[in-house]
This record gives sequence, C-alpha cells and structure tokens, in this order.
Amino acid sequence: MLIKIICWVPVFLFVTGFTYPNQPEKENAPIRWVISQNSSLSVNGSTNVNKFSCVIPAYDRTDTLTVSSKKDPGVTLSGTIGLNISSFDCHNSGMTKQLRKTLNEKQYPLLRIRFLSLNKLPELTAQPEVITGMVIIEIAGVSKHFEIKYQIDRDNQKTIHLVGSRVINFSDFNLVPPKKLGGMIKTKDELSVEFHMNIKTI
Amino acid sequence: MKKILITGLIAGCILFILSYGGLYLGVRYFPGLFVDYDNPLFNSDGSRDILFYLHAFIISFALSWFWARFKTMFKGTLIMRGLEFGVVYAIIALLPVMWISFSSLDITVIMVISWFLYGLAQAIIAGLVFAKINP
Repeated sequence: MLIKIICWVPVFLFVTGFTYPNQPEKENAPIRWVISQNSSLSVNGSTNVNKFSCVIPAYDRTDTLTVSSKKDPGVTLSGTIGLNISSFDCHNSGMTKQLRKTLNEKQYPLLRIRFLSLNKLPELTAQPEVITGMVIIEIAGVSKHFEIKYQIDRDNQKTIHLVGSRVINFSDFNLVPPKKLGGMIKTKDELSVEFHMNIKTI
Repeated sequence: MKKILITGLIAGCILFILSYGGLYLGVRYFPGLFVDYDNPLFNSDGSRDILFYLHAFIISFALSWFWARFKTMFKGTLIMRGLEFGVVYAIIALLPVMWISFSSLDITVIMVISWFLYGLAQAIIAGLVFAKINP
C-alpha cells in the first residue's frame, strides 16, 4: 500500500504541477486596445511674437496596441501609431505651412509614436490614474526614446481615455526651429506634445 | 562718384541703426504685427540673413546715386527737400512694387502697408542725410 502511495505521489505532483501555473498565465494574456478615430494630437509652441497650437484633430487610422504584463517589472505595451504631418492645423494657414515645412513633410510625411512599456498595469476605473511609460517618437526620420506621463481612465461606455504628454525639442530630431527677418522673429526650440487616445478593448 | 559712395555709406550706417533698431522695437512692442511672418514665404534657415542686413546699404547707395542725379529738382529747406525726395521715391518705386507684391504673394494688407511706410521712412531719412551732406 505504501509503495502504491509513493508511486502515486509523483503522478499527483506531475498533474497538479501543470495545472496551477496555468491560472496566472491566463491573467497575463495580452489585451488588445483599438485606437478610435476620434483620437487627437496637439503640439504647442511659441515664438518671440506669439504662441501657437497645432492639432491633428482626428486620427485617420485604426491601430491596435497590445498590453501584456508578462515582463517584470512593468508592462509591455506594443504598437505604433502613425500621424500624417499634412493633417496638422495651426489655425493660421501660414503657420500650418511653416510647421509642415519645418517637420520636413515632403520627405517624412508621418510622425510615428511607438509604444514600448508602461510602469504598471492601469486599473482602468473612472478615476484618472497617472502612470508613465516609454515610447519612441519618430519625427523627420529621427527616432528618440522618451518617458511619457499618461493619465488614464475608463468611462461608462467602456472607452479608455489615454492622455499622454511630453515636452520635446526641435533639436532632439535634428530640426532647426524657424527664424524670420534676420533672426528678429524666432521660434523657440521647445514643443509640448499631447495626445489624447480613445481606446476600446477587444 | 566718390561723393556718391561716401554719402551712400554714411546714409547706410544711419539707416542700418534706425531701420533694424526700429524693427527690433517693433517686434518687441507690437508683436501682433509680426505673427504672419511665421510663414514659409519668408526665408527661415538664416542663409540669407547677411543679405537682409545689407538692405540698408543697398537702398542707401541706390538713393545716393538718385540724389546726385536729380538733387537740383528738389528745392526748399533741408526738411522739405528730404521729405519730397522720400515721397518721390515712394511713389515711383515703392507703390508699384507693393502693388505687384500684394497681387501675387500670399501676404496681408497690413504687411504691404507696413513695408510701404518703412520704405518711405527710409527714403525720407536718406533724403535728409543727402540734403545735409551733399546739398
């Protein structure tokens, strides 16, 4: 009898040993976030004569981000969004043309944001939660890593609102801020970028 | 010829200080007038800055020659001669250029008027300098 029990112990351990670890893996299954078309991006900057705010009012694609918490510490967030430089609107035709020219639209028509990670898995409640994450921003063919501060919440319609903001410089992307009239009018190097993504989980 | 060059150089130096000093103060105290210059229509990479700042000397040498050629036609006191010279230049040269600029370029009325007044002021100042040193 004892020998029988001893024989069955490894079998029991073998069976249960494969059953238990399955549960946490299910919890860590990747989540897919679909970015809605009513997402937007704004770029705020200034010159020595005015301030400007340029927006891409509506995201014209449907891209997917994948959230996976397998990697410790932090959460992997993978996916890329591409924004058409030609969609920028600075509410002044001259400034709009200038921004597109400065961002070298003809050669590099897309601004890309590649998502890499989040510092933690968001709880997704109605209460906005502040988290951070890493992204790669590509402008005019130059890619740079940035840490982005996000505010994330989920509304009654189960739409996730992810608002990311970051201050970047033209010079980060080897771009020269425009200056006019022999340098009397200068655009400042600093730009504040903010994107608002409306996301549905699938 | 030497007289033309010397008066042109003196007027150029005076116009350089007054024109760019005035522009600097204009940008500082009336920034709203300069918002529309943030436009690809205007050079933005600094490659032509030297040409921009040479403008005061280009206009001074041109006006110096014009003054030497026609100064006998401007009569009256120093101020009257300078004023008339400036107005003649503005009507003959500036007005048609501003007209064609506004009709063909994507620029505002305010820009064209400000350029006209800027050129008129430059020509009056140059006229006063010429009337004083090359009467």
